[in-house]
Amino acid sequence: MSAVSVPPGGVTSRLAQELEVQRERLLPCVHCGFCLPACPTYNRLGDENDSPRGRLHLMKAVVEGRLDPASDAFHTHIDRCLGCRACEPVCPSGVEYGTLLELARHTAAEHRPQGRLTRMLLFVMASRALRSLLFAGGRVLRASGLAALGARALPSAGVLRSARFGLAMLAATAAWRMPGVRSSRGVAAPVSDDAKRGTGRRVAVLTGCVQEGLYGRVNQSTMRTLEANGFEVVEVKGQDCCGALHAHGGDLDRARALAKTNVEVFLASGVDLVVVNAAGCGAAMKEYGTLLESDGDDHARARDLASRVRDVTEVLAEVGPRRGAAVECSVAYDHPCHLLHAQRISRPPLQVLDAIPGVEVRVIANAEECCGGAGIYGITHPDLGGRIGADKVAAVRAVGADAVATPNPGCMMQIGAGLVMDGAPEGVVHPVELLDESYRRAGYYGEPSTQRSPG
Amino acid sequence: MTRSLTAAVARALGDIVGRDHVITDPDRLVVYESDGLTAYRVAPRAVVLPGSTEELAAVVRLLHGEGIAVIPRGAGTGLSGGALPTLDGVVVGTARMNRILEIDPVNRLARVQPGVINARLTEATRPHGLYYAPDPSSQSTCTLGGNVAENSGGPHCLKYGVTTRYVTGLKVVLAGGEIMELGGAGRTADGSLDLVGLFVGSEGCFGIAAEIEVRLLPLTEGVRTLLGIFETMEAAGHAVTAIISSGLVPAAVEIVDNATIRAVEASVYAGGYPVDAGAALVIEFDGTEAGLDSEADAAEACCHAAGAREVRRATEASQRAKLWNGRKKAFGTMGRIAPDLLVQDATVPRTRLPEVLASITEIGERYRLRVANVFHAGDGNLHPNILFDRNDPDELHRVEQASLEIMKLCVAVGGTITGEHGVGVDKRGYMKLVHGPDELAAMAEVKRVFDPTGLFNPGKVLPDVEAAHR
Amino acid sequence: MSVAASVVHPTSTEEVAVTMRAATADGVGVAVVASGRRFHGARSAERPFLVMCTDRLTGTEIYEPADLTLTAKAGTRLTTLAVELGAQKQWLPYDPPHVEERTLGGLVSTGESGPLWMGYGELRNHVLGLTVVCGDGRVLKLGGRVVKNVAGFDLLKAVVGARGRLGVITSVCVRAFPRPAVDRVLVLRGDSVAALVAVARAVGTAPVMPVSSVLVAPARAPSAGAALLVRLHGAEPTVDADQKTLERHCGVSFERAADAVGLLASARDHVADAEVELTLSVLPSRLGDSLVAVRDVLGDVPFAADTYKGFARVAAGESDSEATSRLRTRIESLGGALTARATDRARDVAGLGSRMAPSAAALTQRLESVFDPKGVLWPCRP
Ligand SMILES: Cc1cc2nc3c(=O)[nH]c(=O)nc-3n(C[C@H](O)[C@H](O)[C@H](O)COP(=O)(O)OP(=O)(O)OC[C@H]3O[C@@H](n4cnc5c(N)ncnc54)[C@H](O)[C@@H]3O)c2cc1C
Ligand code: SF4
Ligand code: SF4
Repeated sequence: MSAVSVPPGGVTSRLAQELEVQRERLLPCVHCGFCLPACPTYNRLGDENDSPRGRLHLMKAVVEGRLDPASDAFHTHIDRCLGCRACEPVCPSGVEYGTLLELARHTAAEHRPQGRLTRMLLFVMASRALRSLLFAGGRVLRASGLAALGARALPSAGVLRSARFGLAMLAATAAWRMPGVRSSRGVAAPVSDDAKRGTGRRVAVLTGCVQEGLYGRVNQSTMRTLEANGFEVVEVKGQDCCGALHAHGGDLDRARALAKTNVEVFLASGVDLVVVNAAGCGAAMKEYGTLLESDGDDHARARDLASRVRDVTEVLAEVGPRRGAAVECSVAYDHPCHLLHAQRISRPPLQVLDAIPGVEVRVIANAEECCGGAGIYGITHPDLGGRIGADKVAAVRAVGADAVATPNPGCMMQIGAGLVMDGAPEGVVHPVELLDESYRRAGYYGEPSTQRSPG
Repeated sequence: MTRSLTAAVARALGDIVGRDHVITDPDRLVVYESDGLTAYRVAPRAVVLPGSTEELAAVVRLLHGEGIAVIPRGAGTGLSGGALPTLDGVVVGTARMNRILEIDPVNRLARVQPGVINARLTEATRPHGLYYAPDPSSQSTCTLGGNVAENSGGPHCLKYGVTTRYVTGLKVVLAGGEIMELGGAGRTADGSLDLVGLFVGSEGCFGIAAEIEVRLLPLTEGVRTLLGIFETMEAAGHAVTAIISSGLVPAAVEIVDNATIRAVEASVYAGGYPVDAGAALVIEFDGTEAGLDSEADAAEACCHAAGAREVRRATEASQRAKLWNGRKKAFGTMGRIAPDLLVQDATVPRTRLPEVLASITEIGERYRLRVANVFHAGDGNLHPNILFDRNDPDELHRVEQASLEIMKLCVAVGGTITGEHGVGVDKRGYMKLVHGPDELAAMAEVKRVFDPTGLFNPGKVLPDVEAAHR
Repeated sequence: MSVAASVVHPTSTEEVAVTMRAATADGVGVAVVASGRRFHGARSAERPFLVMCTDRLTGTEIYEPADLTLTAKAGTRLTTLAVELGAQKQWLPYDPPHVEERTLGGLVSTGESGPLWMGYGELRNHVLGLTVVCGDGRVLKLGGRVVKNVAGFDLLKAVVGARGRLGVITSVCVRAFPRPAVDRVLVLRGDSVAALVAVARAVGTAPVMPVSSVLVAPARAPSAGAALLVRLHGAEPTVDADQKTLERHCGVSFERAADAVGLLASARDHVADAEVELTLSVLPSRLGDSLVAVRDVLGDVPFAADTYKGFARVAAGESDSEATSRLRTRIESLGGALTARATDRARDVAGLGSRMAPSAAALTQRLESVFDPKGVLWPCRP
C-alpha cells in the first residue's frame, strides 16, 4: 500500500479558507460512491465531475491546493449542481453536502463572477422594493394571458428559449381551477371562531419573496388552514426573503444579512413556531444555525430560530388536520427535494392530502428525484434543467391526474412551466390550497357551503 | 504530471462518442484519480464515456491503435484499486451504457449493458417476480460490469453463490476493439471451454464486458431475520460454525464487532444494536414460509448455545430493512470515526474464524491500530477495517505491517488474500503468498491470450509487472 | 484403430508430472481416463499415445465437515465419497449419467452437474481448488479450499469441463452440502411430449424452485410414454408446501414416485449408453420445438432433457452424419447448439463435436497451448 499524502498549504483563496474550516465536513466522505445513483445530473451526464462524490472531490482538491478555485472545472461543475441534496440521505457517512455546496459556490463566485442573469436575479430578490416591482409586472403578464401565450409561441431554442421558459414559469403560477369551482377568485371571509380548535400555539408565517409575489394565495391558504386547526397566526412585519436563493447561488454575504434580519424580527415577535410553505425556504431557515455558525452571539439566536421553523405540512400533520368537505379530484404528488432530502419530510404532505375527502393521490414515478427547478436552475441551465424537467413532466403526465400537487413554489413553477409548454391540461396546486378549498366548502370560514357539482 | 492526449486523438475520440463525453481537462481528470480505495491516486490522460457497444469497440480500437492503455471503470466503488488509472492510460467508463436491454421472464434471463446498477436490475425484474441474486453491500451503486470484473459477492451469496454463478453469457470488447460473444444461455456447446467463467473476475485485464447476460431467480416467499447479540467476537464466531455445520442453510450470516456497532449506531443508519455488545450476528433465512420458523428456531438455539446474550427476531419488513441497513452501510459510517480507512478482505475456512478473529485483535493491539470488523461470516469472508490517519507516517507504516501480518495469518490457516474485492493494485504484493511462480506465469499467459498487447488495465492483479503508477 | 501404446496408473501428482514430461520429450500423446466409460477421445489416432488412468490416485485428503469442504484425489469414486460424506449427513449434489461409476476428477473434467444444478448450482461453481498437471508436466495448484476466492484470474474455470484437454486433474477440493431431510420425486406421465413440455415450462416459471426437472422418453424402458420428474428437497413442511404451490401453478397433480431412485437412475442413464449421443442446448422456451426437430429428423429416439436448462441428451441410434447435420441446422435455427459424441465403435460418424464461432475457436486454441504447449493431450481434444 502506498498512500499518496496531500501537500499541505497552498491554500490561497478565501474558500480555500472557508472550506478549510469545513475540513471536518469534507473528511467523512469515504469515496464510497453511494451517492452517485441519487444524483440527477450524474444520472443524465455520466461524468463523475457532475456527481456528488466528484464535486466533493473537486472541493477537496481546492482545499488541498491542488485545484484552482477559479478553474473552469470547479466553476462549471459546482454551478451545475441542482442543490437538490438527494445525495445526503443516501450517504452512509452523513456528509453535509448542502452546506459544503454553499461554501463552494461562495468560493467559486468570489473567483469568477457568476453569469449576469444570476447576479441580476439575486440582486433583485434581495431588495424588497425591486422584487415587488418585478412580481407586479409578472402578475400583469400572467393576468393578461400574455405569459401563457409567449410560453407557447416563442421558439424552444436559441436566445429566446430562456425567455420562453421564464414566461411559462410565470404562466404556471396561476391558480388551478379545481373541479367544482367556477372561479378561483374571491375566496373566503375570515375563519369563523367556532372553526378554530384552540391549540393555543402562536405561529408566524414566512411570507417569502416569490411566495408573496406570485403565490399570495398560498400564503392566504396557509394562514387560514392553520387558524382552522387552532393556531394563532401572528403577523410579523419586517421579515424578509429567507436568503435560500442567495446561499445556493454562492452569495453567502447577502444570505447572512437576510438571515440576520429574519432571526431578529421573528424572535422579537415571540412566536412559538415559524411556519413555512416553501420547502426551499424552510430548509434554509432550519439551517440558519449553520449559516451563521461563525457569527458569535447571532449563532445561538439563529439556532433558536431554526429550531422553531416548521413546514406547513409538518404542523398540520402533527395536529392531524381536521377534515373538511370533499374536493373531488385526483392529484399527482411529487416530493420537493428541499422537503424530502433537506428536511427529511416525506409523509406529512401526503397526510395533509389524505385529510381531504375526495382527493385521490397518485405518487408519481421517481417522485424523489429533483424536477430540475431548484431555484433559478431552470433559467440558468436551460439545457440540463430542461431535460430533467421534461422527465418529471412525463412522469406527472403518466399518472393522468387532474393536477400535480407539490408543496414548494420552485417546483410548482418548474413543473407547471413544463406542463404549460407541453400544452398539458394538468393544473398545479400546493396541498394547503386544496385543504383550504375543502375547509371553505365545509363552511369553516363562515361562508355558506357553496359546493357545486363539477360541470 | 499527466501527459495530455494529442489533439488529434482527442478529436477522434470526440468524433466517436461525442465531444461532451471525452474529458481531457487535467482539472477534471482529478475526479477520476481514485476508486473506492483512496489510498492511491493517479489521474489518467483522459476519460471517455461511450454510449454503446459499437462506440466502446471503436474507442478501444483507436486507443490500442495508438498504443494507449485502457482502464475500464464502472461506478468506481472497487476497494482494491482495480479502476485506478495509469499516468499514460485512458479511463473508459461505462456510466452511459446503463440500459437494461432485455428481461426474459420465461427463461429467467436478463441482458444488460455493463453500466447498469446492480440494484436497478432487481428493481426492474421484481414486477416479474424475479430478482438478481448477488447483492454486494454496494449494490445500490456498483455496476454489473464491475461485478463481473470482480466476481463480486455479497451477504446472500452464502446461500446463492457469487456473480460467476449467474453470468451466462457475455459480449466483450477485446484487444484492438474486437467484439466477441462468449457463452450464452441455451447455446452451450458441450465440452467447450468455459470462457465466460474465465472472463468473470478478470478485473478489467482481459477486455471490457459490453453486454452481460445473467440468470434471475424467483423472489422468495418469506424471510426471517435474526440478530444475535454476543459478548465477544469469539463467541459469535462459534455460533457461526455451529449454524453452518448443523445442516441449516441460511441465506446470510453477517457479523459486526463492537467498533462497527458504535459507528453505525451513531449514524443515520442506526439499526438498534446495543452499543456495549462485543459482536452482533445478522442471520437470515429465506424461502418457503412453511419451513422458516423452525430454521430460525434452530439457529437461535445455536446462538444461545454459543453464549448469546440475546437473540432478536425481525418480523416486519421495516425492522428487517433497518437491521440490514446498519450492516450494509457500515463501511460508510466509518468515515465518521477516523480520517482514513483501509478495508481489508480475506477468506478463511469457516471453522477457523474464532481463532483468526482473536489473532486479528491481537495484531491490531500490537500495532496500536483500531480495527473494526464487519463481514460475511457465513462464508468465512473477513473484512478487518483498519482505521488510521494517513498524515501520520508512522501509523501508515504500522497499517502496512499489520495488513501483511493479517494476510499471512489467513493464508496460514488455509485461507486466501481476497474473497471478493479482488487484487487490483492493492493486493498484488500478496499474490505470492498464495500462488507459486508457475501459477502466476500461467495467469500472465492467459492474460496474454485475451490481451496480447497488454493494453487492458496494466499493472493490476499480477505482481512484478512494473506499473506506471508506482 | 486407436493406437494406445500403454496404460499407466500413476499414484501421485509427481508421478503424473514425470509421465507428462516423458511423454512431451518422446512426442507421445496422453489420454486421461478415469472410469473409462466416458472416454470418447482418440477417434482418429494415427500417432501413438498412452492412456493415463487415474484409478490409483485415490483417497480423501482433507474433509472438514464443519467447513462443508472436501479435498480428495482425482481418482476417488463418487460412491466412496458418498459414504464418507453420508456419515456426516452431507453429500455432493450432482447427478450426471452414470454418476455411481464416476470419479471426482472425471466428473470435474466433464463439468457435468446433471439436472440438480437447478437447485444447487453448477459443479463449476463448487469446485474450490484443483491440482492439475499440464501437458508439459507443470503442476498448477488453482483456487484454494475456501468458498470465496478471487485472488487472481480464475483459471480453474477453464479446467473444469475441459475434458482433459488442458491437463490431468490430480486432486480436487469441492464444496459439500447438507443432505436434505426430505428428497421427494414427483412424476407426471403422459403420451404427449408436447403436453409434458408445457408443464415443464410452467415448472420453470413457478414461484418455487424444485431442485431438478427432467423430461424423459421413453419413461422407463421398455415401457412407452414419457414422464416429467420433478424433485423437491427440504424439510417436510417446506416440501409439502412447495408441492402444493407447484401443482397449483402448473394446474396438474403429480404422483409421488414410489421407486424414486430407480426412476431417476434410468432417466439419467438410459441415453448415455448410446453409440451416438447428441446433446443439444437451447433456451428452455425452445425445448419443445427442439424436441419436435429431433423427432422430425431422427424419429422417436430416446431422450432425457433437463427442462430448466434447455439441455437434452438424445440417443441417436442409427443416425448418420447427414441426419446429424440436418438436426444441427434445425437446432441452430432455434438459437441453440448441438454436440455429437460417439463411442469408439461408432467413431466413423462424421459431424462429431460441435461448431464454434471462429474467433472463439481461435481463443480456445490459444488457451489450450498455454496449458499444453506441445499438444501432448491431443487425444482428448474433440
Ligand atoms: C461500501 C462498499 C461496500 C462493498 N461491498 C462489497 C460486497 O459486499 N461484496 C463485493 O464483492 N464487493 C463489495 N464492494 C466492492 C465493489 O463495490 C465491487 O467490487 C463492485 O463490483 C465494483 O463495481 P464498480 O462498478 O464500482 O466497478 P469499478 O470499481 O469501477 O471497477 C472495478 C473493476 O472492474 C473493472 N471493470 C469495470 N467495469 C468493467 C467492464 N464493463 N468490463 C470489464 N472490466 C470492468 C475495472 O477496471 C476494475 O478493475 C464494496 C464497495 C464499497 C465501497
Ligand atoms: S455517499 Fe457520502 S461518503 Fe460516499 S462518496 Fe457520496 S458523499 Fe462521500
Ligand atoms: S445536490 Fe443534487 S445535483 Fe447536486 S450533487 Fe447532490 S444529488 Fe447531485
